[in-house]
Amino acid sequence: MADALRPDEQTSMIGIGEYRVGSFPMMTIGLGSCIGLTLYDESSKIGAMVHIMLPDSAGRKDRPGKYADTAIPLLIKELGIKGAKTKSLIAKMAGGACMFEYFGTNLNIGERNAERVRAILKAEGIPLKKEDVGGKVGRSVTFFPANAGKITIRRADGTTGEL
Amino acid sequence: MKLSTVQADAIQELGNIGAAHAATTLSQMLGSAVEMSVPAIKAIDISELGSYMGEEAAAMVAFELQGEIPHGGYIVFYISRESAIRLTNTMLGLTDMNRTMNEMDESALLEVGNIMVSAFLDATAELLGFIMLPSPPALTIDMAHAAMSSLVAQMGEEIDEVLLFSTELVCEEHKIDSDIIMMPENTTLARIVELMENMMKGI
Repeated sequence: MADALRPDEQTSMIGIGEYRVGSFPMMTIGLGSCIGLTLYDESSKIGAMVHIMLPDSAGRKDRPGKYADTAIPLLIKELGIKGAKTKSLIAKMAGGACMFEYFGTNLNIGERNAERVRAILKAEGIPLKKEDVGGKVGRSVTFFPANAGKITIRRADGTTGEL
Repeated sequence: MKLSTVQADAIQELGNIGAAHAATTLSQMLGSAVEMSVPAIKAIDISELGSYMGEEAAAMVAFELQGEIPHGGYIVFYISRESAIRLTNTMLGLTDMNRTMNEMDESALLEVGNIMVSAFLDATAELLGFIMLPSPPALTIDMAHAAMSSLVAQMGEEIDEVLLFSTELVCEEHKIDSDIIMMPENTTLARIVELMENMMKGI
């Protein structure tokens, strides 16, 4: 990938439970069982990215980006305010891994996160165009809304890919 | 929970004693001196975890804290990937640094993590009379943030701030730099603070 876009000082870093909406580059590093979810409207080149940690908010409202069930409706709303067309939104996600096998046997949070995101997107009528989830591998994800919504993924072993 | 200065000092002392025992076992395994830092206590907002544990590749051997409190949090033997290779090279009598890690490395790291964390928890149990048993170990060699955030996600009590107690263990001779990191649940933390306070009252 000689023409690969790279994160620069303009890139907004998104920590656990945080989200951004806009057309600037955005990045989440070191996704394990967490999910990096992007929503993108091609016509306006506006996108949103969130770093989801858990499937369910159980009624909590103070950190909506932390949970799948509160994060997705929030992103849709904020994208609408910024001028994105809700009907043309497409979603992509990465993460949802199980980093420690022993602990994973009783409680696979990564898998539950991914399932919940899929279910909520379906209910909201947003197509999930691509995903790179599961396995026992950490991922860093960079999202470039201004460049046709391009997404690059980097793994701990240095391998990169596009989503 | 928020810690007062006295409570933080008490926990630091506990970490000191635990880490000193772990350092001794590491020193015996390597056959050379191991220095330890003063234990650090950090309360980190989960959104900031990436500034402390980023994309760097590390080997992490994680244990759930069990015993009196069944799901008491986690304790992790953390070692950068480079240090991990130096460590297993030293133990296995190898010299090649530019190799991929294999099953032999993995079992060596699991074993070292097991021995060190057991020494740490034995020492704290002896001091406080509070039993924290390590679960079987789980190893990952990957991005630090990916592994540590996954442990935070499966803490029993939902948290927005994670308390990290970490002590650095360094072997100068072999350039090995490692950490023991404890992430207690609030119930565990409350129990430790209570026992440390009682102990200090008795002095």
